[in-house]
Amino acid sequence: MVGWVVNRLGLDDMMEDQHNRVVPRHATNYVYCFGGIAFVLFLILAATGVMLAVYYQPTPDTAYQSVLNISTHVEFGWWIRSIHRWSAGAMVLLVFVHMLRVFFTGAYKAPRELNWLTGVVLFVITLGFGFTGYLLPWDQKAYWATKVGTDIAGSVPWVGHFLLVSLRGGDQISAATLGRFFDLHVLVLPAIIVLFLLGHFWMIRRQGISGRL
Amino acid sequence: MTRASFLKWLIGSVAAIFVAGIMYPVLRFLKPPAALSGAIGQVVNIGPLSGFAAGRLTAVAVNGQPAAVQSLDGKYAVYSLICTHLGCVVEIAGDAFRCPCHGSDFSPTGAVTRGPATLPLPTYHSQTHSGSLLVGPIDLSRAAYPGWYKGEFS
Repeated sequence: MVGWVVNRLGLDDMMEDQHNRVVPRHATNYVYCFGGIAFVLFLILAATGVMLAVYYQPTPDTAYQSVLNISTHVEFGWWIRSIHRWSAGAMVLLVFVHMLRVFFTGAYKAPRELNWLTGVVLFVITLGFGFTGYLLPWDQKAYWATKVGTDIAGSVPWVGHFLLVSLRGGDQISAATLGRFFDLHVLVLPAIIVLFLLGHFWMIRRQGISGRL
Repeated sequence: MTRASFLKWLIGSVAAIFVAGIMYPVLRFLKPPAALSGAIGQVVNIGPLSGFAAGRLTAVAVNGQPAAVQSLDGKYAVYSLICTHLGCVVEIAGDAFRCPCHGSDFSPTGAVTRGPATLPLPTYHSQTHSGSLLVGPIDLSRAAYPGWYKGEFS
């Protein structure tokens, strides 16, 4: 049956194309793995995030209780939540280290400037995931981190106040803030990051891995 | 069996074990926990009276919560095995109770004989009915018990 599906979709040609691509010898090195590890972490975060959303409730009355419920009552809930939490921190780190590798090997130079730019956007989206996800447990740390973070957005000249009320859904942190951050974390940012990841990977295929130092 | 088919079979088996290892916790995760379905306090039949030896404590589960049935002179009492101190699971020590976390001791009637716990072990409302033991909610009138006996999460 596997053969039937492969045949109908022409997957064997596609796989052959993938297998025939040669990885340059200088790129068979652990420092060239950071981007791939970051992507694996993204997949883990997507899977565990979908699972956490089964029990998480984004309302001020129930958010904290629902997170406690996941950690203490749901079987393996502590495990899934811990994987999500630790992978989130690791992904920010790995994306940054990947960026350092690209910078110090000069891989951002022509013709790969556009891929560097999509990478910068991906880094900012990753930070956005971290910032919005931090509020969701709705504990004291979440509240004050979001207060400080949105205050910083509010200090931008001219558009600061607009940014602040757009993020908070009002002048103060409230139920509206939690709703907006949840929306960003599980709907908006995932959609954007998938688009940029596709662009990022397509350009790697198109432009190839950069030459040796 | 050729070497190629053996290797295919081997890789497939390892992959199947790997997938099963991931799916097991995932499926357990998706099963709604007892506390969420409102099961705490629901009256349940925990089995025939013949299952509870006289003069002894028998470990049981009431709506997924650890408990012990005490059978004395034809009377039955059901104690919660969740420590009133910080919520650890108390162990049955002979005819009494001991908490392994911080060393609280409880007498056969659930009274504290050694700290740090200050409140007696709670009992469940229970009654016998046609040869079986029915267990209801925890008797909250005995002391000002912490929220975890009421299905609260803190």
